[in-house]
Amino acid sequence: MKDKAQEIGKLIAGSLLSGLEAKLNEDINVEGISVGRLIVVDGRENKFFCLLKDVSLEATNEDILLNPPSGDFARQVHAGVNTFYKLSVQPMLITAQNPTDLDRPRPSTTVPPHFSPVCEASAEDVSLIFGAPGITNPEIGSPIFMEVPVCLNLERFCKRSNAIFGKSGSGKSVLARMVLGYLIKSDMAINLVFDMHNEYGWSATNEGGIDDPSLKQLLGSKVAIFTVDSNSPLYRKIRADYDVQIPYGAVEIADLELAAGELGLTQAGIETMYRLADKWGEDKWLAKFLDMDTDEFPQVVEDLKVNEQALNKLRRCLDRLKKLPFIRKEVADDTVNRIMDFIQDGKHIVFQFGRYNSMLAYILVANILTRRLHKLYVDKTDSARADGVDGPKPLVVTIEEAHKFLDPQVARQTTFGTIAREMRKYNMVLLLIDQRPSGIDDEVLSQVGTRIIGDLGDERDINAVLTGLPNQGTLKVLINNLEPRQFLLTGFALPMPVVIDAKDYGKFCSEISLGSGIILDEIERRKTVDELKAQVYGDDQIIFD
Amino acid sequence: MSERIGEIIEVYTTRFLAQADGLENPPHFGSFVKAESQGMAIYGLVYNVHETSIDPNRRAVAFGIERTELFKRQPQIAEFLKIEFEAAIIGFNDAGYIRAYLPPFPPRIHSFIYPCEKQEVLDLTEDLEFIRSINALPGLPVEELAAASIRLACSERGNDRAFLVRAGQEIAQLLKEEYEKARSIIRRISD
Repeated sequence: MKDKAQEIGKLIAGSLLSGLEAKLNEDINVEGISVGRLIVVDGRENKFFCLLKDVSLEATNEDILLNPPSGDFARQVHAGVNTFYKLSVQPMLITAQNPTDLDRPRPSTTVPPHFSPVCEASAEDVSLIFGAPGITNPEIGSPIFMEVPVCLNLERFCKRSNAIFGKSGSGKSVLARMVLGYLIKSDMAINLVFDMHNEYGWSATNEGGIDDPSLKQLLGSKVAIFTVDSNSPLYRKIRADYDVQIPYGAVEIADLELAAGELGLTQAGIETMYRLADKWGEDKWLAKFLDMDTDEFPQVVEDLKVNEQALNKLRRCLDRLKKLPFIRKEVADDTVNRIMDFIQDGKHIVFQFGRYNSMLAYILVANILTRRLHKLYVDKTDSARADGVDGPKPLVVTIEEAHKFLDPQVARQTTFGTIAREMRKYNMVLLLIDQRPSGIDDEVLSQVGTRIIGDLGDERDINAVLTGLPNQGTLKVLINNLEPRQFLLTGFALPMPVVIDAKDYGKFCSEISLGSGIILDEIERRKTVDELKAQVYGDDQIIFD
Repeated sequence: MSERIGEIIEVYTTRFLAQADGLENPPHFGSFVKAESQGMAIYGLVYNVHETSIDPNRRAVAFGIERTELFKRQPQIAEFLKIEFEAAIIGFNDAGYIRAYLPPFPPRIHSFIYPCEKQEVLDLTEDLEFIRSINALPGLPVEELAAASIRLACSERGNDRAFLVRAGQEIAQLLKEEYEKARSIIRRISD
């Protein structure tokens, strides 16, 4: 399919640094040209792939602005002569006019000559840049106003920590589900998803209020659901694969510090905790403290030289942990070891919180498990290196509400901060999902490899997601113009930034579960259950008052 | 060849003056004419039409009688009048090709003047380069002249609107620095 791109203008000015400027041809309707489009400038020997960043009204003569032409005829006559439209485009990539198979688009280091034709990118250009869709290079959308696949290079994607940003309603959860789905399907890395809002396991309710199938439905046995609330009605139909329990001994003071806001901990409380841990042992103090009767407090105050009020306050704060039944004194099995077993089996894990979807439960579980997992990964990677064998399978840890873990004040100490900074040294990277990127530490943001950015309302958030990126001005304009389900993709896994319309979720579903028949199986199973119920209870409708 | 309309009586590199044949059919302002001289057709654009006494020392006097009536009663008066017209040279025919720039030499005095054929008007106005030539000549009513000639060229094309737009754009381009001038020409050709 060799479709000749339509020429829309001619290059007239610009520089590599500040971008190129082109005059729009008079016969092109300016209202059909919108920012974010992919533009190709045909140089003499090279093609320059650019992003359209601005369209402006220009006049060659001040007088025409003071005395605007009246009537259609006069406007038509002056168009292109005294008035014209200027396109500002940012050159991104360059490739030979007739590329061989070895030629890959490379970053642009020069500009095309004067009056080079400026065209909209054709389907061929887009596939030259983003490659053809495949299992490790899945299509996740198409450039705006085009029906050509834009593919995400998963191999590169897994080599850095990545992020999906967007305010609620921007479609980031759906896109995240697609990215995760493709990652799982491709087996490029094992995924561990901390699914705070129950969106990545079984079904997920979409904007229209209808349940979309999620990862477990689509990928079946490849995905295991871990939950802290196995009694939740959620798991009546689909059983969770593992019931997570965390012993008090595994809770470190640093974990509680991270949840200080949720627990209501003060600085004095934190210091008291350290005193207690010093005296009673790091893995025993919490259980002992929570078991203790308040009558025994004066003795503790005497022994440890701590403030009684602080101690009482601390107790009231930590009593909240008792409301989380999955954090308990004794546990039957070590969750982290079990996770490792699943990882070794090549299974992907979605952590769900059922009815305990409070920030406190989420922060504690995600932090405690990831910290221990990270330690395990560091040990395994290091010993594998020493033995000269392959390390553990690459792991992608997905966290929602990422700013809670990567706040500038805590990011330096938390495991998530460490993982984000050390990149893939230990085969472990993050996928941050967040609607408040301005709450994330700059140093972490600048280490993010691939950014998938949806609509963000707040100026501070927009500035934050652009941290450490080149051509921020251009990208900012693009972000400002995003609509729901449109995303700006930029970074390591993409050859150049691109604004896409996200792929249709239905298409994704049929693509990902093709051949597995899992949805059909499930429908069949539900039908059998319903029939069984009908036999037992009869067909009477049950009416609730 | 269409009927002769005049004879050249004064020439310059950029323009010529001709005396019209008779008083009845003077060429229109803004019309295209050609002089046949030295085996070459030299094209001009009429920018001034002038009716006067044949004797520079004797000015015509007012009689208070309507013109046709006056000529009927005193036919000798017509003998003392003449029509002269001035045309700016806008191009020439070089071995069958129309060139929209000045010929190497102007037509000679006493060469005859003919109106241009339709095809010649179409060819001469194809690229509207002549507007650039007339704008460069001093003392010409450029705005009126350009508008009149464009209107004529347009009617020769069966009132083709696309041509009118193209002509307007040419004007806008040519008079980029003189927006008001361009504007007034465009206004004149728009309705």
